[in-house]
Amino acid sequence: MSTLSPVSPDPAANAGPASAADSAADAGPEVPQQRHKPFSRANLTQTIAGGYLPLVLATLVVFLPLLWMVLSSFKQPGEIITMDLRILPESLNFENYNTAMTTVPFAQFFANSLIVTGVGATIKVLLAILTAYALVFVRFPFKNAIFVLILVALMVPPQVSILPNYILIAGMGGKNTLWGIILPGLGTAFGTFLLRQHFMTLPASILESAEIDGAGHWRRLWRIVVPVSGPSIATVALVVVVSEWNDYIWPLIITDRPETMTLPVGLTLLQNSESNGAGWGILMAGAVLVIVPILLVFAALQRYIVAGLTQGSVTG
Amino acid sequence: MTRQLTDRPRAVVEAKSAPTPRARWSARTRRDFFVFLALALPNLLLIAVFTYLPLFNNIYYSTLDWTLGSASATVVGFENYVTFFTSPDAAEVLGTTAVFTLVTVGGSMILGLLVALALNSRIRGTTFARSAVFAPYVLSGVGVGLVWLFIFDPGYGVLAWLLRGIGQQSPQWINDPQLSLVMVIIVYVWKNLGYCAVVYLAGLQSLPQDVMEAASLDGANGFRRFLSMSLPLLSPTTFFLLITTMLSSLQAFDLIRIMTPLGNGTSTLIYEAYLQAFGAFNRAGYSAAISVILFAILLIITLLQLRFVERKVHYS
Amino acid sequence: MALNLDRRHFLGLAGAGAGAAALSACGGPSTTGTTAGAGAADIDFSGVKPAASIDFWTNHPGKSQDVEKAIIEKFHAKYPEIKVNLITAGANYEEIAQKFQTSQAAKSALPGLVVLSDVWWFRYFTNGNIISLDSLIKQLDIKVDDFQKSLVADYKYADKQWALPYGRSTPLFYYNKDHFKAAGLPDRAPKTWQEFGEWAPKLKASSGTQYAYIYPALAGYAGWTLQNILWGWGGSWSNEWTMNCDSAESVAALQWAQDSIYKDKWAGVSSKEAADDFAAGITSTTISSTGSLLGVLKSAKFNVGVGYLPGGPKAESGVCPTGGAGLGIPSGVSKEVQLAAATFLKFMTEPENTAAFSAATGYMPTRTSADMGAVLAKTPQIKTAMDQLAVTRVQDNARVFLPGADQEMAKAAAAILTQQGDVKATMAGLKTTLEGIYTKDVKPKLKS
Repeated sequence: MSTLSPVSPDPAANAGPASAADSAADAGPEVPQQRHKPFSRANLTQTIAGGYLPLVLATLVVFLPLLWMVLSSFKQPGEIITMDLRILPESLNFENYNTAMTTVPFAQFFANSLIVTGVGATIKVLLAILTAYALVFVRFPFKNAIFVLILVALMVPPQVSILPNYILIAGMGGKNTLWGIILPGLGTAFGTFLLRQHFMTLPASILESAEIDGAGHWRRLWRIVVPVSGPSIATVALVVVVSEWNDYIWPLIITDRPETMTLPVGLTLLQNSESNGAGWGILMAGAVLVIVPILLVFAALQRYIVAGLTQGSVTG
Repeated sequence: MTRQLTDRPRAVVEAKSAPTPRARWSARTRRDFFVFLALALPNLLLIAVFTYLPLFNNIYYSTLDWTLGSASATVVGFENYVTFFTSPDAAEVLGTTAVFTLVTVGGSMILGLLVALALNSRIRGTTFARSAVFAPYVLSGVGVGLVWLFIFDPGYGVLAWLLRGIGQQSPQWINDPQLSLVMVIIVYVWKNLGYCAVVYLAGLQSLPQDVMEAASLDGANGFRRFLSMSLPLLSPTTFFLLITTMLSSLQAFDLIRIMTPLGNGTSTLIYEAYLQAFGAFNRAGYSAAISVILFAILLIITLLQLRFVERKVHYS
Repeated sequence: MALNLDRRHFLGLAGAGAGAAALSACGGPSTTGTTAGAGAADIDFSGVKPAASIDFWTNHPGKSQDVEKAIIEKFHAKYPEIKVNLITAGANYEEIAQKFQTSQAAKSALPGLVVLSDVWWFRYFTNGNIISLDSLIKQLDIKVDDFQKSLVADYKYADKQWALPYGRSTPLFYYNKDHFKAAGLPDRAPKTWQEFGEWAPKLKASSGTQYAYIYPALAGYAGWTLQNILWGWGGSWSNEWTMNCDSAESVAALQWAQDSIYKDKWAGVSSKEAADDFAAGITSTTISSTGSLLGVLKSAKFNVGVGYLPGGPKAESGVCPTGGAGLGIPSGVSKEVQLAAATFLKFMTEPENTAAFSAATGYMPTRTSADMGAVLAKTPQIKTAMDQLAVTRVQDNARVFLPGADQEMAKAAAAILTQQGDVKATMAGLKTTLEGIYTKDVKPKLKS
């Protein structure tokens, strides 16, 4: 049975890229260059032109816009609506942050986003682990058909579900509630898919010996499967956290009160109340508040990314 | 943790998931049956209710002449589909979708490959650069859209300022439909190329060592050797990326919504579906038909992936 | 074995599909009933007790959040038994409409009172989403006669009143007095666009700004302000239900607009908000809503002049459309809520409150008896907007009654003004689109 492998159809190779990537990344700086003398001028030029230049360029392309966002968030309207632009703000003025927080209740949005992301992501990761384990290690008829249904669910664009889900959730009284925001997104096709792909590659032997020792499914799941699947679970966690935190259209539709709005929705509320050139600084302050927390989470989890991403597909 | 995984025996858990012969309803099978339900049912139910039910609802809505906000509707069969395909909208929307998808997929894959090649060189700092280029992928589309909208702003944006510096006027990024599309594509590629780079990097690092020598771009014929030797070996990675980036490009929403709310020039299938129902037209039935068409396209792409994987397995 | 998509599984899928399809028939619209709403009978409110709490959905037009809060506080003091929740239901009229329509689909969480713009109320009416206010006007003794007549008439259809005016505006011609003085121009708005055509090069030369005039952002309400130029040239988007946006007059008008950008090169198109570009000094003049007046006066660092919209070769007067928003009451809420909402609606539009609203935003006072003395002493420019009301013209049906027409007009304007598209061909295309919308979305509903 094929594993629907993303990188290579060969299951053996499937485990390869992740580990290779990681070991290369870990070992990278220490491994001395073999082919050239490290300090020859030709090599130095080559390293800079062929190695560093593209790297620095790529990093700059990523960071300059974000740096611009941060710088602008300290600028006053007069520094933005002007033909005579200066790169640095006149002072480290938190006025924009203050305005952003008081025009709309940003602290409330922040708390809501934290709750929605925390609760939603935890449940989703848990459900993904349980379902993937069941799909791989528990006997059940029609497991393949179930898996195909999960795959197809990945293809349903979230916007397609908006109207029917709105009717359903609003009918249940979930409008303007945090559970109303969380509930429709809880079922996780993506996490299940990714973890299933990973569990398929686990060696049967360790599980079989555990079974002989009399360990039940529950024990096998938490004592054996989960501990050896750290990177994959971390990847699922990252993707789930990111998608919960950034989710925009559903919270936009299901909330209209600041008490239950999440950050991205609140940000557009800010865009509304400050929809002019002078408001850019305030908007950038808002963008910083939305973007920076997820960057921190990412920084904490990023080392798992290569390992995890290549073991399954990411469509979200 | 990753080390452990690297060194593990690469066995496939074929035996575990192989279909059992028509066994009797043994105690163990029965126990497994309920264990499976206990583990997987919550997730499967959630997917059924919040993904499949809306999908079928949507298919049903697509057969209605229904104005959003109206309590009644008429059954019109396939008329919405006929209307879409016979109207000038179809050419425009499908054209925009094709351009957006092809350019974003091609752009992020080619640039992603180039960045991956740069990251693949064994110099200091690749680990940091790898995380850096991946970072935009995890950021909120709303936040990123606003930041770039400010950069592109023909009046007060930093781009307009740079252009003024060399005596040029800023292009009408916001008003001109074609330039709006260019703008959204640039930002989308910026946000997603890190994903391609990281997956390509994993692919590159799984290649045999001698090929990797060729893949590094130094040497007179490095690039040609790369094209003739490494690229074909990377084809599984390329194919995987092609599918996943195509699926996400076809579902790109937040950036388009934030940067070009009117969708003038940027109305891809998914955005058109949104605009038709929730924009000014309120044609809920018609919108549902467009989402069904989009879903069909996504499904076909996925099935193609499955077929491809199947064939590769048989031949290798 | 690859993923086993064989016939057995497909049958399983199909079975699941059939089951879900049966389920799915539960939600959404009814396909059996007849269209309700449009022209429904008057509701009898006698003996109804107003609800204790209602939601008021607004987008705070003209940055009016603070004044709306203040008026609600006054209302609470006078009517302690009715609590009004001020809800920001969207960033603009379109987002409010999106929320309102979606809530209709779910038949839940509707507001008591909703802000509806010129291009949306008619749709709510044809969908049966709002009630006619006539019986409430009678019961609560709302002095309709004291409202500005033309503003009230905008919401009349089939002999019934479907909404009352709230944040009502006209476009105004804004000019930079300092630039005008430096160019040696008279201190007034131009009478016609031809006259401005002569002024523009002088303005551009003496002020050194990027543009002499900037067209309002297309993503805003291009269909609204362009009516001014169309009418000046004797054209229009439509005449009653006849789409004539490709008439020789209309084409000539927009050709002139295109030439001002590409041939004469003194005009540009705003990307976001023309009033801000004007206040920032990018352009010497622009056209923007009266609702932007207070904002412009606050942020501009020069002397701001306002005047009537310029006329054209065919018409020098009556070339200004009215616009902005009114207040309506949804049909999907209880009588108690409707009555409470009407009580608040009455209070909100009382002379002193409309004056306060006007003072805070620049929108026009909707009541003729509103005492604007204090307001005008502080912001005399509002007077121009009020006086211009006498020479306004009712908007073209195509723009206000056809769903999505405003967006289609903006697209056509983008093709003409930013891509230098062929005017005649673009307008012919727009005409086809507008006729399509009329036949599909409007005509069938007018007959019922």
